[in-house]
Amino acid sequence: MPPISFDQLAVGYEFPSTSYELSKSVIGKYLEAVGGQKDFLTSGIVPPLAIAAYAMTALSQSFSVPKGAIHAAQELEFLKSVPIGTTISCSGKVVQKVQRGQLYLLVLEINAVNQNKEKVLSGKATVAVPV
Amino acid sequence: MAQKPRLSDIHQGDSLPSVVKHITQRGINLYAEASGDFNPIHVDETFAAQTPLGGTIAHGMLILAYISEMMTEAFGKSWVEGGKLSVRFKAPARPNDTITTSGKIDSIEHKEGVTYINCSVESCNQKGETVITGGAVVKL
Repeated sequence: MPPISFDQLAVGYEFPSTSYELSKSVIGKYLEAVGGQKDFLTSGIVPPLAIAAYAMTALSQSFSVPKGAIHAAQELEFLKSVPIGTTISCSGKVVQKVQRGQLYLLVLEINAVNQNKEKVLSGKATVAVPV
Repeated sequence: MAQKPRLSDIHQGDSLPSVVKHITQRGINLYAEASGDFNPIHVDETFAAQTPLGGTIAHGMLILAYISEMMTEAFGKSWVEGGKLSVRFKAPARPNDTITTSGKIDSIEHKEGVTYINCSVESCNQKGETVITGGAVVKL
């Protein structure tokens, strides 16, 4: 499905569910990028921020993010540990879109479940988008 | 990863183990490749120079990972299995910044048999400017 344009995003819009595997190589690359936290690889558990980071990327690929958009706020709740190798399905919804001067504030609700449909993460991301 | 801490080892007012990281454009590019987030504000120096930010900035989720690293260090599996985070990105982290992430236990609450550790968390650059501020809760 082609990405929806930012202008078409309205409150209540639900992003198509997206799945991604948090394989050992994906998590290894993530840990190399954030530095440290190598304990996660030996314990076989996905760093909780990695679940969120990949969920955000997956959702952002569903719409055309205008250049210059930046992250303004983030809420996250980690509900269950995720073993490396888990396939995550994430869903998202636009819960707020307001214009403040030269910026739009877009608030997205994010939920992620494991392959057993157990919720592992929920959160809200606020993105500031230049008008 | 550390196991769950004992409640007797946790006290109101305790500082969390700080995390210090140096930001580089190479590190930002590495994070872009790992996460798939190639927003030009992070990776395109020519584009970013023309924006009000005046240059590239690190991904917010990269700096947030440092807060999660601190919380994992302090609370181990309790953070991974039952952590909650609410933050605001106050200022950008830029290449060549040194980001210090710190935190403190503000209060310990007991509700319906569950203990909640309420923490304040913050990331600052080398000038003392706040990059991220907010709160975190861990369920024990």
